Amino acid sequence: MRLISIIFALMLGISIFAIPQNDAIAFTGQQISRGAYGDDVIELQARLQYLGFYKSKIDGKFGYNTYWALRIFQEKYGLPVDGIAGAKTKKALSGYSDYDEGWVKAQLNAGNQFTYYGGTPLEQQVKTNTGGGGGGGGKSSGSSNNNGTKTQVPPKYTDRDVQLMANAVYGESRGEPYEGQVAVAAVILNRLESPEFPNTISGIIFQPLAFTAVADGQIWLEPNERAKEAVLDAMNGWDPSENALYYFNPKTATSKWIWSRPQIKRIGEHIFCS
Amino acid sequence: MRTMLVILTAAVIGLGAYSINMHGKNVSLQRTVLAQYTDNLTDASEKLSHLQRAVSQSLLFRDDDAIHNELESVWRLSSDVQSSMSNIPIGQGMSNDWLSYLGRLGDEAKKTSKTGDYQAWREKMPQVSTNLQSLSDEWSAATVDFYKNNGKMDVWLRQVDTKNPTTTFDNVQKTLKGYSEKDFPLTLSESDWQKKIDLKALQDSTITEKEALEKVKHLFPIIKDATFTVTKSSDTAPYPFYHIQFHQGIRLGYVDLTEKGGHLISYLVERPVDEARLSQDEIMKKAEEYLKLLGMNDVAFVESRENHQAWHVTFARVHPGDNALIYADGVQLKLAKDTGELLGANAMEYIQAETIKPQTPKPIDWKTFFDDDVKVQEVRNIYTDNGQFEQRLCYEVIAVRDKNTQETFRIVIDAENHNVLKVEYLT
Repeated sequence: MRLISIIFALMLGISIFAIPQNDAIAFTGQQISRGAYGDDVIELQARLQYLGFYKSKIDGKFGYNTYWALRIFQEKYGLPVDGIAGAKTKKALSGYSDYDEGWVKAQLNAGNQFTYYGGTPLEQQVKTNTGGGGGGGGKSSGSSNNNGTKTQVPPKYTDRDVQLMANAVYGESRGEPYEGQVAVAAVILNRLESPEFPNTISGIIFQPLAFTAVADGQIWLEPNERAKEAVLDAMNGWDPSENALYYFNPKTATSKWIWSRPQIKRIGEHIFCS
Repeated sequence: MRTMLVILTAAVIGLGAYSINMHGKNVSLQRTVLAQYTDNLTDASEKLSHLQRAVSQSLLFRDDDAIHNELESVWRLSSDVQSSMSNIPIGQGMSNDWLSYLGRLGDEAKKTSKTGDYQAWREKMPQVSTNLQSLSDEWSAATVDFYKNNGKMDVWLRQVDTKNPTTTFDNVQKTLKGYSEKDFPLTLSESDWQKKIDLKALQDSTITEKEALEKVKHLFPIIKDATFTVTKSSDTAPYPFYHIQFHQGIRLGYVDLTEKGGHLISYLVERPVDEARLSQDEIMKKAEEYLKLLGMNDVAFVESRENHQAWHVTFARVHPGDNALIYADGVQLKLAKDTGELLGANAMEYIQAETIKPQTPKPIDWKTFFDDDVKVQEVRNIYTDNGQFEQRLCYEVIAVRDKNTQETFRIVIDAENHNVLKVEYLT
């Protein structure tokens, strides 16, 4: 029994020290775990997929799919199983897998649907974007950042929600202070929780007579990063409107009914009401 | 001169033709929109009649299965009418009242179906059925107005958007308001919930504007030299608070503090953020430090999310009795990826502080609770809302289904009665 243990320990040791050096420069020095996002996560997912552990989309978001794949890799390769990509795990991954950063980033930027399994020619693993969601997300979705990765939002929201709300926030309040933009996003989310409004973000935004930006077409303007950041803050809980369900610009409001609502506060040109 | 006249005539004719063409297109678009609105209006009217009948039919049976089917119909139809109503331009106030009434009816049907308390349904619904019949009749009479305007949407919109609408819809709205209050009065839990979000529990003494500013400088020393503008909430706000806007160099933001006790509601800064220089671990350590500075020592980490400029980190209060996390008492922090500076803190839920009633958890055998290909990975005890404004002790389970596809789910199960309150698909 003791002999078996010694042999097993030796094999484990050898397997760790005998990691092939496929890629000397890989990853950044930082340790990443669930919640992380960006280039390091893209590389982590690609390498895990190269080895067959990660089967979901390469999207740069360290969620549960990445977490389980990493844990299985750690278990199979005799590493401490913690679901955290630290120095040892990254070194092992770099040794056993290959990563063509240029190719992966190109697919993400183009919004192509792709995989990155080892042993299969890369050209056979890509479907050119036709406007729908791809491996790194569809190009049409404006919530991607420069390297094609999407934003991370609480599980009850989707990238589509971010995009639609950013359009609404930009169309309604692009000239307002940042606080005012977060407040407009928060009003949409407050309506989502209220039984008096439709129960989807799209239903709320496109409810007849609800938003001026829908009526005058400004909702279709391409939102900037500031509007998207404002939506993210609102989705993560910030509500500068203090639970408001309505807002209006007193200089331009045409509805007389809106003046009958109890007012809460004023931010920039908008008065927020309950 | 003659040439000029010819050119001018040609231009006038061209402009006229263009105007006629544009007008034709506009009229055509208006007709399309009106057709859609009319379709939704007719659909809502028809389904409203079906809904009234379904409520009435539900009162026919004593048999559980038979009444269950009718309750399903009430729930489905109320949702359908809600959807149609929300797509008609009937003015915000009217729309809100309808959606609220229909939502409450649907919720009642769903709740009855789940709890099996058919007796309460039988006692309440005869009146609701009568009221719905009357509403349906008034609605049918009112919708005549919609068809009266010769397809002119602007006439209709002017009527619905006045402070004192003169349309027959106004009668429906008044009736609706009355029925809402009678048919579905606020429950005790709802009323408590409303008081909670209106911060009625805060009994501290009020602070002055000067004290509020001092507090802000103490909590957020990085903006102590900023230029501040302090305003008070409107008199009609549900709770009084100070709204403090500041500007310091590249930083622009606001802090809201309650007037009673000067509790932090929220803080948010906008400033340019450089390349990420801190690791995830360092960000988490900084978040813990900020919590101590803000005096929030009774919370524990829930989750974190990185985006291109900042990390959002969520914490929740730990129940002192059983160490379960109270999700409704959450705190959110926003930290810059470059320096780890605190860019935001949201303590709105934290200061609302839930009242937790004692509950006794009963263990669950996960092997019999879940299917064979489901593996439970993590379980923690939490308190969360059960959809009826009550905080329930729950098991929060992270489970993976099918080893090959590795689909991950978050399942929230009431620890006392084992009702499944929430299932979320995690990626």
